[in-house]
Amino acid sequence: MDAGFWVLQFLNALQYSMLLFLLSIGLTVIFGLLHFVNLAHGALYMMGAYLGISAAALTGSYWGAFILAPLGVTAIGALLYFTLIDRLRGAGPMNQVLVTFGLIFVFLDIARLGWGDIALGLDAPAGLSGTSNLLGVSYPTYRLFIIGLGAVVMAVLWLVLARTQIGAMIRASVENGDMAAAMGINVGRLFFAVFCVGCALAGLAGVVAAPVFSATTGMGISILIPTLIVVVIGGLGSLQGAIAGSLIVGLIETVGAAFLPSFAAVASYLLLAAILVLRPQGLIPARGT
Amino acid sequence: MKKLFLTAAAASLLAVTGASAQTKVGVLLPYSGTYAALGNEITLGFNMALEEAGRTGEFELVKEDTEAKPPVGLAKARKLVLEDEVDVIMGLVSSGVLGAVRDFVDGAEVPLIVANAGNDEATGEACSPYITRVSFSNGQVSRPMGEWLAEQGVKTAYTLAPDYAAGHQMVDAFSQKFTEGGGEVVGGEFTPFGQTSDFGPYLTNAKSSGAEALFVFYAGGEAISFVKQYGSFDLKEDLPLYGSGFVTSPLYVAAEGDAAVGVIASLHYVPTVDNELNTKFVETYKAAQDKAPSEFTIQGYDAAKALMAAIDSGASDRASIAEALRGLTFDSPRGPVEIDAATNNIVQDVYIYETVKEGDGLTQKVLGKIEAVRDEPNGCQLD
Amino acid sequence: MFHQTPTRSIVLVFALVALALYAIYGGYFAREIVVEIAILAILAISIDVVAGFGGMVSLCHGAIMGVSAYTYGILTAKLGYPALPSAVAAIGAAAVFGTVVGWITARTTGIYFIMATLAFGQMAYTVIFKSRWLGGDDGMGGLPRFDFDWAGIAMNKSLPFALYALLLVLLCYVAAAWVMRSAFGRTLCGIHSNEPRMRAIGVSTIIHRARAMGFSGLLAGVAGIIAGQHIQYISPELLFWTVSGEALIVVILGGLGTLIGPMIGAIAFVLLKHELSGYTDHWHIVVGLVLIATVLAGGRGLYGQIEHWMTRRKARGAAQNA
Repeated sequence: MDAGFWVLQFLNALQYSMLLFLLSIGLTVIFGLLHFVNLAHGALYMMGAYLGISAAALTGSYWGAFILAPLGVTAIGALLYFTLIDRLRGAGPMNQVLVTFGLIFVFLDIARLGWGDIALGLDAPAGLSGTSNLLGVSYPTYRLFIIGLGAVVMAVLWLVLARTQIGAMIRASVENGDMAAAMGINVGRLFFAVFCVGCALAGLAGVVAAPVFSATTGMGISILIPTLIVVVIGGLGSLQGAIAGSLIVGLIETVGAAFLPSFAAVASYLLLAAILVLRPQGLIPARGT
Repeated sequence: MKKLFLTAAAASLLAVTGASAQTKVGVLLPYSGTYAALGNEITLGFNMALEEAGRTGEFELVKEDTEAKPPVGLAKARKLVLEDEVDVIMGLVSSGVLGAVRDFVDGAEVPLIVANAGNDEATGEACSPYITRVSFSNGQVSRPMGEWLAEQGVKTAYTLAPDYAAGHQMVDAFSQKFTEGGGEVVGGEFTPFGQTSDFGPYLTNAKSSGAEALFVFYAGGEAISFVKQYGSFDLKEDLPLYGSGFVTSPLYVAAEGDAAVGVIASLHYVPTVDNELNTKFVETYKAAQDKAPSEFTIQGYDAAKALMAAIDSGASDRASIAEALRGLTFDSPRGPVEIDAATNNIVQDVYIYETVKEGDGLTQKVLGKIEAVRDEPNGCQLD
Repeated sequence: MFHQTPTRSIVLVFALVALALYAIYGGYFAREIVVEIAILAILAISIDVVAGFGGMVSLCHGAIMGVSAYTYGILTAKLGYPALPSAVAAIGAAAVFGTVVGWITARTTGIYFIMATLAFGQMAYTVIFKSRWLGGDDGMGGLPRFDFDWAGIAMNKSLPFALYALLLVLLCYVAAAWVMRSAFGRTLCGIHSNEPRMRAIGVSTIIHRARAMGFSGLLAGVAGIIAGQHIQYISPELLFWTVSGEALIVVILGGLGTLIGPMIGAIAFVLLKHELSGYTDHWHIVVGLVLIATVLAGGRGLYGQIEHWMTRRKARGAAQNA
């Protein structure tokens, strides 16, 4: 095991972390703002992958899918918002969990009806399909692209939240929704916008993941648990928490897979349980909760 | 596919009045969940053989969905036997479900024609005069790969497979023959089944092991993810990929794309097998489905062939059908096959094939054939 | 707060008699369905105990049921102990597992409790899934049913087994109703509606929560025994979190916090599933839509809605008489 081995495993961990980040950031911000638990977030990720495959076939280019899939998922999210999410905001966690659990079933069968039972693949774009040399190792370019994309999304979200007026409004609403509304912030419209961005990021994660993992009808359910773990470990509603959580879970799962496959499977559950018992608000809690 | 089945069902209903001795077949396959595509493909092959022979009217099919879950499969098997009172059961995709129903069909003395599930024990130490396998056993498919790879002068190999019974059996059989041939397995890992989507860490381990070759077994969605990720790491030069043939099955090789090109694997059937029966079989299938058949199609097809042959030899009830299947020989598109009288497992040719480009698509180039591969009884005593 | 109203007693007896008649006259498949309903009904009742009265929405009840089934499997099929004491030990193991999870998670509420139970349930699932000794993903077979031959009852026949399962449903219901009517049940409701006040009057909320999970685990353990004995085969699927999710659906579909509602929900769910799967492989979508509709309709569920109408009518009648 030379240095190159460690660099490769580190990049593997980083790549997985970034995918988790794209998913968990939407989930956590929606929770922070709307106090809404969306178990169907994984299903939106799955829809992103499938819509991406169809969009790529339609436009003949990966980049077509890259643009269209998140938009399609946003449209689905908007539809959900007006039919269900908005009504359930005050309904308590159990009703939210149940309705979005029902949505998982609905999306599962929509995917089966629309795309069949055979797992589908999506090819990485021509320019990103080979390997690149980095830090003395050759690594799949597409995976580097995922890492870069995650970093860019992270930076943009950070800037928006910290430096813009919308960011200030979001932060104010997370801290104290009633007070923000009293100060004249249109909380309803803000919630809708944030929900859509969360959905778009889930769709983006789906289409970005499709060339690495195949698109299967079970992918939404299997990614949901790691995403929830990330969000709870980091602190529900917290942007920094989602970053920290993604990196921790990505690292644990990758290093575990490489060295202790039998332990890796329970490691993140153990961590989740420990956090919930010792520090239920998460590692980096959102203020105001 | 649905239409095909409906025609078959309608035809069988019409024939109820006419036929005096209709055979009731319980079709026990996954139609939802991870393996739904395999279940549909096997059903398709089964109906194809009946239609080709013009004998859809002789068989009444009762379809049940196992969801690829052992308890569900066992519950459905009981339903087929106790409520529908079928004469014979055909199907079973997952080894787990086969393990679950084994004692029940053996005790109830109902013939079971296994059309996919490959666990070695089912025709080894846990064999039964009522369980006949027309598909393959895990060892049967991967032993030839170990033998062939050692013959090519490859000295060291690393193995990867999902951590469940089939994964272990495939790797064990490969390792045994590869070692006997003078090779050495320098390392390997079993990945959590159904929970592994990122194979990056494992591929990195495999690469750093310094082995000359990588042998894997994956199926379905995992196979697609694995092969695509293998391709993206650009390991074809340093660490060529060999597999138990399901890894590049014609059913989903299209989804793997260029990453599958050059992968060499062993399997009991590929659509490019060169014989007259197969040419006709592939033509018929392509005309209806607009794609090439897979090993799963042929398994369903041969299940029907075997059943028809048993009935032709005079079998009519459960006991006589089971008796007639044993030792049966017939010509299949995959080559001559025989039901081993010692184990009730199929004896068949196994092909070493390479996935190659042809026009826009991918096809299978047969590199070699190991004839009449037969499993040792492994503790099986049928009498 | 729980009241065993006359309506609830009538519905309980009526439902059990109807299921028994269905099993007696309905042939083999009817009996399979009755057993399936019984398992789901007991699991749903056990979830209702914690979710409906204690506000603790658990996603680990499938795992608790699985712990019982696997303990039973290990003791009988692997180690060869007799069935009856093994079953008692297995139900005890489920109760202990429930108590431990309840005690560890007692400080969390709402979504945090849901996530914590999910974590513990999935941990149990993963451990069993990974264990080759327990058959891993392929599962474990050879679980025996009870031997009541000395009493002239052949448990291996489908009818006696279905009636036995129904008897256990009755026992579990009575036990749950009795406990929920006791001082303990009332305290649990109190904790749910106003935790600080209960603590202020000197109630240890942690111990009560842990006990509630323990009792609920005991009931789920009974469901696990029936599940193991029914198919005589178990696999890790039993412990996966979606099993708990499905049972929660049943609770909501029938009526949360009524104990009898979950039973009605189980009947409706199993019959719906079997009817639908006869027509289509895509029955999940219908189940999902029914669930969403139930929650949006006020979340009272089938039985809850009927009770709601009845009390409204009674109230209106009383107003008219006055």
